[in-house]
Amino acid sequence: MNKKEGIIRNILNSILPIFLAFVIGGVVIACIGENPMETYWILLKKSFLSSTGFMNTLHYASPLILTGLAIAVTFKADLYNMGVEGQMLFGGFFAGIAGAYITGMNPFLHKFICFAAGVLCGMAFALIPALLKAKCRVNEMVVTLMLNYAMAKALEFLSTGVFRDLGSGYVATPIIKESAMFSRFGRSRLTMFFVIAVIVLIIMYVVMKKSKLGYEITAIGKNSEFAEATGMNVAKKTIVLMLLSGALAGLAGAGYMMSEQFKYTLNFSGTPGLGWDGMLIALLGGHSPGGILIAAIFYAALKTGSDNINMYTNVPKEIVALIQGLIILFLAVKFISERMDLKGRRLHNGTDQ
Amino acid sequence: MELINNILYDTIYHSTPIILCVTGGMFAYKANVLNIALEGMMLNGAFISTLVMFFTGNLPLAVFLAILTTLVYGLVFSFMGITCKGNVIVVGLAINLIVPAIAGFVMKMMETANINLKNVNITKYKINIPLIKDIPIIGSILSGHPPITYLAFIGIAIFAVLMYKTRFGIYVRVVGENEDSARSIGIKTGFYKYAAVLIGAFCCALAGVNLSVERLGLYTNDMTAGRGFIAIAAIYCGQGEPVLSSLYAILFGVARSLAVNLSIYAGPAAGLFDIIPYIIMVAVLAAVSIVKHKNVKVRGFKC
Amino acid sequence: MSMVEVVDLTKRFGGFTANDKISLSVEEQEIKCIVGENGAGKSTLMNMLYGLLQPTSGKILIRGKEVQMSSPIDAIAKGIGMVHQHFKLVPSLTVYENILLGVEIKKGKTLFVDQRTEIKKVRELIDRYHFELDPLDKIEDISVGGRQRVEILKMLYRNVDILILDEPTAVLTPQEVDDLMVSLKNLKKQGKTIIVITHKLREVMELSDSVTVIKKGKVAGHVKTKDTSETELAQMMVGRNVVLTVSSERKGPVSKDIIYEVKDLCTINESGKEMVSDLSFRVHKGEILGIAGVEGNGQSELVKLMTGLMESTKGTITFLGKDITNQWPAQLRREGIGIIPEDRYAQGLCSDMSISDNCIAGYHGNPDVCKKGIFNQKAICAKRDNLIDEFDIRLGDINEKIGCLSGGNAQKIIVARELSADPKLLIACQPTRGVDIGSIESIHKHILKFRDEGNAVILISCELSEILSLSDNMIVMYKGKISGRVSQSEVETESIGLLMAGIQPGGKGAVHE
Repeated sequence: MNKKEGIIRNILNSILPIFLAFVIGGVVIACIGENPMETYWILLKKSFLSSTGFMNTLHYASPLILTGLAIAVTFKADLYNMGVEGQMLFGGFFAGIAGAYITGMNPFLHKFICFAAGVLCGMAFALIPALLKAKCRVNEMVVTLMLNYAMAKALEFLSTGVFRDLGSGYVATPIIKESAMFSRFGRSRLTMFFVIAVIVLIIMYVVMKKSKLGYEITAIGKNSEFAEATGMNVAKKTIVLMLLSGALAGLAGAGYMMSEQFKYTLNFSGTPGLGWDGMLIALLGGHSPGGILIAAIFYAALKTGSDNINMYTNVPKEIVALIQGLIILFLAVKFISERMDLKGRRLHNGTDQ
Repeated sequence: MELINNILYDTIYHSTPIILCVTGGMFAYKANVLNIALEGMMLNGAFISTLVMFFTGNLPLAVFLAILTTLVYGLVFSFMGITCKGNVIVVGLAINLIVPAIAGFVMKMMETANINLKNVNITKYKINIPLIKDIPIIGSILSGHPPITYLAFIGIAIFAVLMYKTRFGIYVRVVGENEDSARSIGIKTGFYKYAAVLIGAFCCALAGVNLSVERLGLYTNDMTAGRGFIAIAAIYCGQGEPVLSSLYAILFGVARSLAVNLSIYAGPAAGLFDIIPYIIMVAVLAAVSIVKHKNVKVRGFKC
Repeated sequence: MSMVEVVDLTKRFGGFTANDKISLSVEEQEIKCIVGENGAGKSTLMNMLYGLLQPTSGKILIRGKEVQMSSPIDAIAKGIGMVHQHFKLVPSLTVYENILLGVEIKKGKTLFVDQRTEIKKVRELIDRYHFELDPLDKIEDISVGGRQRVEILKMLYRNVDILILDEPTAVLTPQEVDDLMVSLKNLKKQGKTIIVITHKLREVMELSDSVTVIKKGKVAGHVKTKDTSETELAQMMVGRNVVLTVSSERKGPVSKDIIYEVKDLCTINESGKEMVSDLSFRVHKGEILGIAGVEGNGQSELVKLMTGLMESTKGTITFLGKDITNQWPAQLRREGIGIIPEDRYAQGLCSDMSISDNCIAGYHGNPDVCKKGIFNQKAICAKRDNLIDEFDIRLGDINEKIGCLSGGNAQKIIVARELSADPKLLIACQPTRGVDIGSIESIHKHILKFRDEGNAVILISCELSEILSLSDNMIVMYKGKISGRVSQSEVETESIGLLMAGIQPGGKGAVHE
């Protein structure tokens, strides 16, 4: 199998699901009596074809790059950290608390502390399923799925109680101090957070493609027994990867807090949540950093565009969530399988030993 | 006394949807298909039944359509995950995202944030069994529940028989345990996996109806609150054995019932009680796993 | 008229021809052996006869009638049954449930299975063929030989006339092999036609009426058993004169320096049963210690213990005077232990990764390829090219994935990788399983050379001949314990066979199953 063929196959495998999802989305739009082409055009125009729109797209892509990476490092190692959403919320929440309750701080230092709070919280929350998996062999997927709900409830409790901003008309924590806020570039919403996300992405690129850890992630994902036998200590690596994933998720939450939300509300991460978006992005990007960047920008465009759909047409913006779900659904299947041309030979090796 | 009665009643009340998901989901578990779409399927059952009730007020039709549409999701899941050999975890999550997206979309079109069946009197669904209802303790366990609750508990026995005494049950287990051997004697493995997933979809639809129409007369997009995942945890703990898994489901019911009933006395910390059931399930999962693996000396996770 | 006839049967997988115009015929009530090296195409041929694979061209005739089989069900309906090398049984079900799987007897028209009638029928079947089995036992609780009998009964219940057995003796003790031979001859008397695939020539000579030799996908010859000999068959299989045993002639006696010592080692399996109990042995400098035994007597667990894949419940392992009990594989390799694992594609290699990635596995943290956690791609490629050169590994394309290599070449990559790290001890587990004869020779030579350089080797193999020809001393394992220690000078195959079955030769004698 040559490399070029592989790349083309990967690209086709990503584009086909998107295409199918948009076709089905189009049918739904048509069913409610709207024009799908017009809707999609608005989506595209507002998020890509104006400079402010494009910068906004990049802005929304920032946390998505990070949650996408958070998912990718675990999924690639065949580890299902479904708790990225919860880890992101936890990180975001305490970054917000650090931002709001620490006063009179140097802006640079303040932001750093907020990030640190976010990262630590994300890691702490990821540590629970990681330890359960490594020490007691508990399925990490089931645990993380349940803990997401526990986390959402816990943060709801904190934001309605101890940390409630009494001046606000709805449930929210106090707005973070100016020293913790990222300032915007020009008229767009873009901030330094995007640059940070890209730097992290580059670091993760090196980690995943060039480093020992990246090699081990691949080996564990492809054949964990082999990984164990060749000295990778899968249990220990599981903890490392979950912590890394939690850190990335926490970073995403903290950055989103400081560049966009400025306070924790019950709808902090939107529907369906930045963590779940991250899953789409990781799958779409084939768990590779380059792919994740493109996928994050693509998906952020959908999100920015979706606000405009609401404004200019009668199509509810929930259509974007539907399209997202459909893309994930179709991404689960490899339409063009790499086994196709190899199958015959493999089968032979397998049966005649 | 009142408190104890409430706790017992609520235990049954909160166990019902989980038991339905567990009994439905364990066939897929035994057939070695990890169905994490239980959550979405249950939500779909809740949504469609409430929607149909809202527009027609016809309960049988609502239940029928809820089951039908959930079966469609079951088919989608099976087709993508089994026929096309997609990653079932991803397929399951996709369904978990698509269902609330569709519901959100429809509710936006209806210009409402939730569907409230104001015209439906839910107390009329409750079956009060004469005589028994007046016996203390037993009365609150056995009487005053909606029909699906009774179905759920009867279902445990029915599904246990189906799993262990019939050819269908044997085949499902064979397919899950050794697919090669199943295929070598001509069992259509795909069929049994489909069937297992569809049984799950059917039960989840009922769980959804129970959760929304029967109990509250209300639909909101977050009403399943991870119950599908809790059911998966219960199935894991009980290793797909019908009775054992259902017991773990009831354990969740107990935890939830205690949390609800005791939070009244907790004052401002009441909000924290919501977390307890999830934490308990995680702890139980860990405990079961430790016991199960206590003799495992092989390192690594593949054994 | 022949019972089964195969005419010009060809099977291609893509560009690869697994079976090339194979023709053979099997007479009624005959035991036919089909022999050939690993990868010669025996299994492909049988899978076509059993409907698991469809031929590219050629035809299959049963009792003179041409047949097409699209699945095993078809084959069974036409009277062909097969017992696979890896049993297709369901461990959690009972013997009778497994035998009746797919043909359950129902209670009238209900959904329920009539368990009582089922058990009765299976009892009758067991009695008719004089097999030793209890229909109510669960498969997971019975011995390997018992499982094989269940597989055979499964086919007999379906009234097949032709029984194909794929490497039936690979997993049996010598005594169980004898029992099987008796059973098969018995079945022949009862009118069955039997085809046995094997590469063990001694059994061929004892069992069969006629033999077909297959080499590289082609028929290398048909012979009547009474007209041939083991050596002749071996020559036909390989196509040249072969020395069936490599000489392990050593220069001088084994040194007294202990390199590796296992003391009172114990471990348990998932259900708490002791799989290795109080095992002790020593390995000296310049010694090959062979560990023989029938599969499933704790060797697998012992290997896992020695290679850091399993934890012990008791006992110690010392290497060069240092306690290394329960160390992890990475640590063991750092200490100087090379590991050739039991299952090539599960533990030794990752089929979905490139050759160069596989060449560094286990040593990927070493400073020659990895500095501060970042790989030096150039050094990795250089290392790969070195190994390929030095160990004569033949590849099509250097960028291929490991999964595309032949068994022999894949195994050579592991051997090369482990030996190139200059270990002091090599733990070689089934080093030549499923490997062609050329590669076997080469691997054996490397192992001997490694020993002659003054290192130690622990060789675990279920091929008794391999252990006999390579090791200086050997121990035999039975039920997790050492049932005997033998040095090469005093060895007799016969007595080792007994030890493998837990019987002390000339001694009190253990219970025979």
